[in-house]
Amino acid sequence: MAAIDIEGVTKRFGDVTAVNDLDLTVPEGEAFGFLGPNGAGKSTTINMVLDFVRPTTGTVSVLGHDAQRHSLMVRRRTGVLPEGFDVYDRLTARQHVEFAIDSKEVDDDPVALLERVGLPDAVDRKAGGFSTGMRQRLALAMALVGQPDLLILDEPSSGLDPGGAKEMREIVREEVDRGATVFFSSHILGQVEAVCDQVAILRNGELVAQDTVEGLREAAGGEARLVVTLREPSAFDVGTVLALPEVSEATLDGDTLTVACADGAKTEVIAAVEDSGVGVSDFETAEESLEELFLEYTADDGEAMEVEP
Amino acid sequence: MSWEVVARKDFQDSVRSRWLQGLTVLFVVLVAGVIWVLRPGPGETVSSNQVLNSLLLKDALVTTLVPLIALVVAYNAVVGERESGSLKLLLSLPHSRADVVAGKVIGRSAAFGVAVFVGFLLPALALALGPLQFEVGSFVGFTLLTALLGAVFVAIAVGASAAVPSNTLAIGITVGLYFLFVPLWGAVQLPLQFYFQVSSPPAWLPLTGQEVIRLLRLINPTGAFKIVTNAYLGSTLFAGDGARLHVGATAMLLAWLLAPPLFGLWRFDRADL
Repeated sequence: MAAIDIEGVTKRFGDVTAVNDLDLTVPEGEAFGFLGPNGAGKSTTINMVLDFVRPTTGTVSVLGHDAQRHSLMVRRRTGVLPEGFDVYDRLTARQHVEFAIDSKEVDDDPVALLERVGLPDAVDRKAGGFSTGMRQRLALAMALVGQPDLLILDEPSSGLDPGGAKEMREIVREEVDRGATVFFSSHILGQVEAVCDQVAILRNGELVAQDTVEGLREAAGGEARLVVTLREPSAFDVGTVLALPEVSEATLDGDTLTVACADGAKTEVIAAVEDSGVGVSDFETAEESLEELFLEYTADDGEAMEVEP
Repeated sequence: MSWEVVARKDFQDSVRSRWLQGLTVLFVVLVAGVIWVLRPGPGETVSSNQVLNSLLLKDALVTTLVPLIALVVAYNAVVGERESGSLKLLLSLPHSRADVVAGKVIGRSAAFGVAVFVGFLLPALALALGPLQFEVGSFVGFTLLTALLGAVFVAIAVGASAAVPSNTLAIGITVGLYFLFVPLWGAVQLPLQFYFQVSSPPAWLPLTGQEVIRLLRLINPTGAFKIVTNAYLGSTLFAGDGARLHVGATAMLLAWLLAPPLFGLWRFDRADL
């Protein structure tokens, strides 16, 4: 059984199509990254999973239940960190978590949960005074109540500093190890790459790719990127490496030569540079980053979108 | 029960609101003020029933102010959470939208009820030490009925709050309903009463003039409240000639308590949030 099964789902708001004929299956027991630029339809999709909005056509089922007709059954077994939520300003962190505990009719310890998300000192403080990052942690603590089978995290890292984002990823990993499915949406690839087994990329309401992180790397062509530092760059002609059959790109910037080539052609490139007599003082190789691939998938009409580091 | 959890949370949240705390103080001051105005001369006493029956308390304070305050306290109950985004936190937990509406009506009515109780009982108890002859039974009963009137207007406001997608619309609807039920209704009813003393209603209406007036009083929740409380304070509730009218007024109050939230839920259940 799939954790989330979306079949032929279209959602229109007036004449705006937010999600267009989406098919997506999230297998149970893994961390699944849901990627796409802002406005791609990620939150609309998640909102349909939670029955906040209803699909125009198509069906969504979650943990084997129809997401619309049996939404309560779905939400009993799901923990959610929603996007664009707000806290109850006048209630303390403890009261928030207790509310989730009472709602799910479980017997968790609110203090332990708040410690786990890094809010041990804010247990009895009113949430109205919390920073965005603290609100995010509080909502995560509420989401973790009752050991849900499915965790839905919509842009969980927004408002978190890099340390906080790392803690978030550790919690995701722990939850997957416990046996939960984690559905993790982000517009930042780096947040997802490190923790997810599989990713789906959404653009303009349509699925443009779904694969494992490894698979996506291969789809990127498995090209290697070679960065060579030259001793005498002025005497070097970029044409000598570009002439090699497996080199797709070569640029010289100061004393740094960057070459994109097939993984197996690296030694050949180094040899060619050394043969030209300019001298190699240093070189390093890198895989084509997934980031660039993500940009390729999500860029609109060749125009690269802005991605936060 | 899921609505209970929502109601408890909403109560916890509401009683901490400065609005409600200020309101409680306002009730204390106003009730104390009314009692002070009606204070007896030296050596005399005044009964708490006289206070409750006074125009100042029953008409000015209760039926004018209670609806206004209840509407103010509750108009944003659902739509406020919808606009701020805390509704997402609430509905990501296993609550149905019906649980949310029911929980809001109950939680907020309870919070309003606390304000009414403190506001009525505190000054009365203090003055009972002095010249006020305190009749506990009728006073508590009247306070309960006032809390019920508050709950009716909370229910109306929560219904509006659940039905619309924006705070502004909810404000518009509740303000409109207040003007309809309180000043406007009276403005129509009074001249009509004089009119029917000299002439009768149009022939197509199968009612006498008195029946039209009675119906107008009955339909309006503040009118129904007055029918019930007058009978209650006169110890004739559900008895004598007025029994049928009292049952009708009570039923009308219950209808107002239920119908607006149900209408709000009907719309809320269909909405994309």
